[in-house]
Amino acid sequence: MTDGTAPGSRQPETTPVADEIGDLRVIARDDPPPSGANDLIVMGAASGAILGGIGFAVGLLAGAPLGFYGAALAVGLLSLGVAVRRWITDRFPDIDAVELRPGPEPSGPIADVAPVPRRSFLGRFLAVAAGVLGLGLIAPVVSLGPAPGDALRRTAWRRGSRLVTTDGQPLSPADLSPGGVVTVWPEGAIGDETAAVILLRLSGEPVDPTNGDWVVDSTVVAYSKICTHAGCPVGLFREQDDALFCPCHQSTFDAQRGAIPTFGPTARALPQLPLGVDDEGNLVALGDFTEQVGPAFG
Amino acid sequence: MTPLFALLWDTLDDRLKLRAPGRKVANKVFPHHWSFLLGEIALISFVILVLTGIFLTMFYRPSIDPVVYSGANELFGGRRLPAAFESIVRLTYDVPGGLLFRRIHRAAAHLFIATVILHLLRIILTGAFRKPREINYHLGVVLLLLAFALGFTGYSLPYDALAGTGIRIAYTELLSTPYIGDRLAFWIFGGEFPTGDVIPRFFVFHVLLLPGLIIGAISAHLGLVARQRHTQFPRVGIDGHRWIVGKPLWPSQFAESATLLLWVGGVLVASAVLVPWADIVLQGPYRPGEVGNNAQPDWYLFWLEGALRLFPPIEFSVLGMTVSGPFFAGAVMPTLVIALLVVYPFVERRVYGLEGEWHVLQNPLDIPLRAAFLIGTFGFLLLLSAGATNDILSRLWGVPIETLTWVFRILALVGPPLGAVGIFAYSKRRLAAKGQTVASVER
Repeated sequence: MTDGTAPGSRQPETTPVADEIGDLRVIARDDPPPSGANDLIVMGAASGAILGGIGFAVGLLAGAPLGFYGAALAVGLLSLGVAVRRWITDRFPDIDAVELRPGPEPSGPIADVAPVPRRSFLGRFLAVAAGVLGLGLIAPVVSLGPAPGDALRRTAWRRGSRLVTTDGQPLSPADLSPGGVVTVWPEGAIGDETAAVILLRLSGEPVDPTNGDWVVDSTVVAYSKICTHAGCPVGLFREQDDALFCPCHQSTFDAQRGAIPTFGPTARALPQLPLGVDDEGNLVALGDFTEQVGPAFG
Repeated sequence: MTPLFALLWDTLDDRLKLRAPGRKVANKVFPHHWSFLLGEIALISFVILVLTGIFLTMFYRPSIDPVVYSGANELFGGRRLPAAFESIVRLTYDVPGGLLFRRIHRAAAHLFIATVILHLLRIILTGAFRKPREINYHLGVVLLLLAFALGFTGYSLPYDALAGTGIRIAYTELLSTPYIGDRLAFWIFGGEFPTGDVIPRFFVFHVLLLPGLIIGAISAHLGLVARQRHTQFPRVGIDGHRWIVGKPLWPSQFAESATLLLWVGGVLVASAVLVPWADIVLQGPYRPGEVGNNAQPDWYLFWLEGALRLFPPIEFSVLGMTVSGPFFAGAVMPTLVIALLVVYPFVERRVYGLEGEWHVLQNPLDIPLRAAFLIGTFGFLLLLSAGATNDILSRLWGVPIETLTWVFRILALVGPPLGAVGIFAYSKRRLAAKGQTVASVER
């Protein structure tokens, strides 16, 4: 479909065209009046662009503050925009034009060379062959990551792992005053996020479903710090009701009652770390978590 | 034309025969309306993103290995930081212009995604998705998703505290896929979070894979607009079904686009001077096991964040798979929303028995189903987004977070259907009052 010819079925009975400039069908034309003021605007804006460009380059190279060379660049760009716009609108008529929308496509085959008669089986077989080859090419995806195995079902905690702070200091129950909270790691795995544990001394003795065998000194308990909802660290402890609170999605856990969820989008308690004390009086793990740490999967 | 330019033009024209196609392009008629500029601003933002991004790429180090920062910033001087974060601190404080380009890049990213969304809204509101433009509409939806991915990976690259939280939640989302979640997460992240592979990989996604896909998709998007011609608003006395009315590319549309490019650039630079975009100093680097308050993603992902916050606590095992809240909130819900966007053009065509092609834009109130679809879908997304600020609102208003969460849960479920039904009834009454029905053929 070319622009000059209307298809027979759509021969416009009334064309809106008032004038033609070359191939352009004009319906309205507005010539700008000669104006000295406009020249002044273009001159002024273009000068602003020059100053902006120089200001940006010199300011940047001379170590001026960001506010200076940034503002110069902004002024330069905005001024150049004004100059270009005013320059064009003063030099050319404002034209409203029309163009015919493309009509229906000519019929006929897309290619003129047609196949000679043959059995259709081979064509289909070829398509299957290409498909199988293509599917085979997906295999390298498996190389992109290790097989998960049981990596997500265990953490770095072992029987006898000492609890250490982020600075590597081991802790004894006496280091925790009532309401005290500290983030601890298995010794040798500081910063291994899935092993992050929150160690607390509660204001009162914890009750069911807290595992009492893993409570030290009546009120010291340790829970996984990784939220069972979306895996954020459960960063906040609200002392008045012994609530652990995740700032990401507001899951709230009751540290008195086995860290069961009391509000928010999570459905599962924070796993409790089997906690004990070694011969030197340091807090240690009695083993890895017995429940799934972090968000659900599988 | 200056003689030099004329000589260059003649030399090229003599060999490439540019005159005829050139005149055709220059005479091409562009319908005019301010809302047609939204997509153009998105395109301009993308160009600015690529230009500033090239500068940033020269300095960024895609690694989380600890290095000691030894530059001018006093807060971080002598500290061990993840290499990615360190390289950005260095770019910000020790490279002249580094901070300016970072801020422009960030501001352009916000503008890019905002205008892509507004452009999509314009297309849906006015019915520009109707036959024969469904394919281009779908390309636009793909571009929106690519823009989200580009924004999220860019947000993650500094490896600051917020980025760490975002990556963590994205990892959980993948993990929550039934059956294959753990493999999927390990394939994309290279292992268990926080693996050292995530930043190098996000870097490849952000500077190579996603921009490449977006450039390809934009080219096809513009190519289809050129081939199928632009839609236009109705104009008295002209059959818009037959005629395209507008201004020729040269000079009017050229002036429009050139000034838009310069002005959008100017405004972005000005915003970079006035607004401390991309200020990561307050955040500090990602540290394992830590997360701060106000852990919000960028605004365009608030709807997903809100869904994660509001979805009720659910976790169950069935058929050997574990299904959890994050899977519904972060995978099923967005898939349904996207699917709704994708199928809507066909639904509208079928419900109203539409025939033929449509080139003239409409008032959405003239098509009750579309008004209801818009209010329902986007009302839902906006309420979910509001839900992502429940912690901030709770602190601001002194209302317990539990109460606010329940308010948003109820609003998100009840509000959109009510709004949809309301606007549906209103637009039907409005049509009836004017004695009109929904047109099934364009006139």
